[in-house]
Order: sequence, then C-alpha cells, then structure tokens
Amino acid sequence: MKEVSITQDDLYAARIFFNAALPLLKVVIQSKPNIKKKFEKKNFVFQVSALYDMAPGGKMATHLVFNNGEITVKVSEIHPKPDIEFVFPDIKKFIIFFSGKGMPLPKMKGIVKNMGSFMAVMQGLLTMSKLLGSTDAPVAIEDQELLVKLFFYLLPNGISQLNKAGHEKIHDFALKSPDRAYAFAVTGYPALNSYIRFKEGNSKAGRGEYPRCKPFLTLRFDSVMHALDILMSKGDMVDYMANDYLKVEGAPEFAGIVGEFMFVIGDYAKAAYMD
Amino acid sequence: MGGMNYTVVDSKKLATAEIYGKTLCELGEKDKRVVALTADLAGSTKIGDFKEKFPDRFFNVGIAEQNLFGIAAGMAKAGLIPFISTFSVFASMRATDQLHTDICYQNANVKIIGSHSGTSYGQAGSTHHAIEDVAMVRSLANLKVIVPADGFETANAVRAAAAMDGPVYIRINRGFDMNIYENEDYGFEFGKGVLMNDGNDVTVIANGCCVFQAIQAARILESDFGIHARVINLHTIKPIDRDIILKAAEETRRIITVEDHTILGGLGTAVGEVVLESGRACAFKKLGLNDCFSAIGFHEDLMTMNGIDTEGIVKTAVDMMKRAHVVEISSDGKTTKALKFDDRDFEAEIDWTDEV
Repeated sequence: MKEVSITQDDLYAARIFFNAALPLLKVVIQSKPNIKKKFEKKNFVFQVSALYDMAPGGKMATHLVFNNGEITVKVSEIHPKPDIEFVFPDIKKFIIFFSGKGMPLPKMKGIVKNMGSFMAVMQGLLTMSKLLGSTDAPVAIEDQELLVKLFFYLLPNGISQLNKAGHEKIHDFALKSPDRAYAFAVTGYPALNSYIRFKEGNSKAGRGEYPRCKPFLTLRFDSVMHALDILMSKGDMVDYMANDYLKVEGAPEFAGIVGEFMFVIGDYAKAAYMD
Repeated sequence: MGGMNYTVVDSKKLATAEIYGKTLCELGEKDKRVVALTADLAGSTKIGDFKEKFPDRFFNVGIAEQNLFGIAAGMAKAGLIPFISTFSVFASMRATDQLHTDICYQNANVKIIGSHSGTSYGQAGSTHHAIEDVAMVRSLANLKVIVPADGFETANAVRAAAAMDGPVYIRINRGFDMNIYENEDYGFEFGKGVLMNDGNDVTVIANGCCVFQAIQAARILESDFGIHARVINLHTIKPIDRDIILKAAEETRRIITVEDHTILGGLGTAVGEVVLESGRACAFKKLGLNDCFSAIGFHEDLMTMNGIDTEGIVKTAVDMMKRAHVVEISSDGKTTKALKFDDRDFEAEIDWTDEV
C-alpha cells in the first residue's frame, strides 16, 4: 500500500470530523421524525473509521450504537465488530470525503446483511451532509433551527477537541484560562444553546444552558436566521453587533477570541489547509 | 493594545456609562438647574448626548480636574445642580483638595460621577486604575457614596443623587457590565442594600461589578457544594445599611466582602466596622486588592488575578466553610442531609468529557 504522509493539520481535522461532526448524526436522526422512525426497531452498530498506523488499534474511529431507537455515540473508540462500517484507507481520504473536497469512497462493510439499517444510516448522513454543506439557509423553519443547533454543537465540540489534541493556539488559551464558560445562544430558542468551559488547560463542550452559572461570555443572536447568516459566513459580525442582531453578553475582547476559534474550526471543517 | 480603542460596536455597547448619559439628559429635560461638566472626557464618560441637547449647560474645562471641581462648587452655590463626569482616579485623587474644601466642606450640591473605576480600565495601566477612590471619598464628611452594580442601578443612583441635597459620589465602570437586573424597577432605595440571593451558610456582600460575580458564585456554591450563600448588593457604602449587614452576621456567621478596590478602606472595611461596632462575632474575609497595585490587562483577567471573580469567591466561601459539602446520611430507613468537612481537592471531580 502506498504510504500517505499525515500532517498535524490532518490529525486536527480528523479529530474534528470523528469527535465533533460525526456525533451530530445522532442529533439529525433525533430531530427528524421521518428518519427517527426508521431506527425505532433496529439494533446495530455503525462505525466510521480511517486507517492510521499511529493510532491505538491501527485506526481512528467513531461508532454509534442503535438500540431500538436509543442512540449512543462512542467517540475515539473502536468497536471490534460493528454491523456496518465505512472504512477509509487513510485519514486524508476520510477528510476529503467529509469536507466535501472529493468523493474517495470508503470500503463499506456489512451493508448486504444490514440493508435496512444501512439505508436508514445513509438517509441520516445525507441529510446531515446536505444541511452542513449547504451554502444557503434551508427553507423549512425546522431545518433552519436544526442547522443552527448542528453548528452550535459542532463549534464548542470542535474547539474542545482541538484543545485536547494540543492545538497550539487553543491549548495555550485554555492553559491560561481560569474557570470560564463561553456560550452560544439564540433568544427564545433555549434548545439550541451550547457552551464550552475552559479551566487551566481543560475544556468541556456541552449542550443546553450552562448549568453552573451565567456564562462568562454569551454570543446571543436575536433570531435563527441572523445566527445562520453569521454561521454560514453570509453576514458581517461587526455589522450584526452594531444592529443588535448579535449581542455579546460579556467583554467584547473575549468575543473576538471565540470568533477566532470559530474560524479555526470552520477552516478545518472545510479542510482549507489542503488548498 | 486590545481594548484601548473603542470600535463603533464597543461605543454602542458601553451600557453603564451610556445609561448614565441618557439619565442625565432625562434629568436635564426636567430640571433646568442641571448642568454637566467634564475635564476633556465627555466622550469617554458618555455625556456627549447632554452636550448636544443642552450646549449652554455643558462645560468642558479642559484637562484641569481641580478647576472642574472648584467651578462645580461655585455653580452649586449659585443654585445649579452640577454633574461632574471624569474618571474615578482623577475625581478622587487629582482633585481631592477641591473635593474636600470646595465641595464637601461647603456641602455643595455637586454630583460626581467617577467612571472607569476599579480595574475596569485595566489596559490603560496603573495611572488609570481607581483602586483607592472609595477609601478616599468615604472619609469625606457630607459626601454620600454609591457604587451601582449595573446600568439600571446606575440610572437609579443618578436619579437618587439628583433628588437629594448635598454632594454624592457615584462610582461606575468603563462599561461592558453584565446586567444583574432586568430593568430599573426592582425597588432601588438609597442607603439600602439589596438581597440578591438568600442563604444561611455564608454571606457575600459585594458592590459594583463584583455583584454579578457574587451571584454566579452563589449558584455554583449551591449546585456544586450544597452551600447556601446569601448575596447582598450593598450599592450604597455611605450611609451604610447596618441592618442588612448585622442580620447577615447574625444569621450566617460568615461574611465575605468583594470589591474591585483595595481591601484597605473600601467596602470590606466599611462592613467590618459595622460588625465590629455591634459586638457580634463572625468569620470575616475581605476580597479585593491586597495592599498592592494591580497588574495591567483586561478587566476580567485582573478580576481573576485579584480573586474577585466568581471562582475566587467560590474558593473563599468553600475555604470559609472548611471545605464542607453536603452528604446524605441514612439511618433507620430515613435519609437526611448533613454537611461533611474534609480536605478534598477543589473541584477534583470535574468530568471533562465533551457532550456528544
């Protein structure tokens, strides 16, 4: 097999896709009644993996356990015998596929034996891919809300994962950080909230309202559409703040740092470093 | 240097000072005796609106704080109600003699709004940190001292100051304050502390920007440690609300004061004097700058460094409670809750796994 050289950027991008993006499949399935229904009576394990000699077990992987409608996500864990598995020959191809830069198809295992489950998973994956890959806001209101939720969940998770992976800028920030939480919110839509907590090098991404106290800083949008404008890079953050579409609850200096980290995640999600 | 220059966005969001500016205009509409004075800091102290609306009642004396205070005293003696706006550090120290002799000694009806107080203008350096102002002004006879906790309270404080006769010092921040009230209608009363959170294990008495931190700390103390913290916003330092302090000392037996100010002569000292004079005993800890100058940096980081942020208050309260936490004790089929004292590491049990 031809040896592929894996860079640090590849590893960061892979970590975001495996540990922050793929877990969103659960959110998509649970938010779409028509898709959710297809998993109601199914019991199987779906795994996505990419071969990588340096990783424990020889590959990086994330798997989802489906149990009669219940979904459990296991990040950074290799399931020894998944019912369905998408295996990428290397990390680069995995990133190219998930960032939408190309279509290097993975080896798909177990689909003949589990055709029904496979079709359901594919519907979930395609829906997620369509939402996250779209350049315009979805038309349906429920899809707009879901897309904001996906972004709001992806960003803190991605930032936290990069911190845990030792990303220089983010980890340096985390190391110096006292106990502080940064939240994303849309007024009137508490179900979309998410946050990231930093403390002395540690980080934790969470969903919903930050439970311990009011966050150190909240980026609060006044509407779902204005949130999408910023998240899809269609609006100017400064203009939106000036017009009160986006409010920073906390010191603006720190909002700039969060904004910078959002762009870092966005760039890795687009595999911009490969350009 | 980040934060030194206001952007178009920042200038729209300077909540506390901006609310002061708007309230001053409102007072100016109602009472022609209201005049505004500054020493070349109209923009920074947000009284530009007043200047535009009432150009004949606005006076910029230039960078000359001593003249500013002297002129204001004269205006007050002539029947006007002057509102002086300048940075707290200049109001309290550069013009101390004029504040003492021209204003306080004559009980002149001058209202002094000191902005950028404490370490809120942290990036500007020690020359602009007002960490001794409360100690200075609290000792001056006739002068009343208010330290509002957010923009809404600032509006209330300014109105209260206008309504009373004699000099008042109102200490506000650079801006960017987190709101602790939804609006102005929460029952502000000059000279009366506000109970922000009830509890009987420990009392946290704070003012200014530290009130928000104290409220957040109380939430964490409750959820993570089972400690019920009472939080008091003691916005008026002089005259001080003795009743609310003594009630807290009696009912919780533990008081922590939190201020963005030196611990010498400010809120903590004022509260301590009340407790000491009463003859009551309680555990007591003052949080603030501990007889030192502050480092230079963002306000939030300086608050952390000086132990007056949420985390600092939580740590102090837990220490004061002898690291107590709530445990459930089962006996005879009944489960009751009790405080257990131990030496567990602070927050050793945090699960840092990301939620997926």
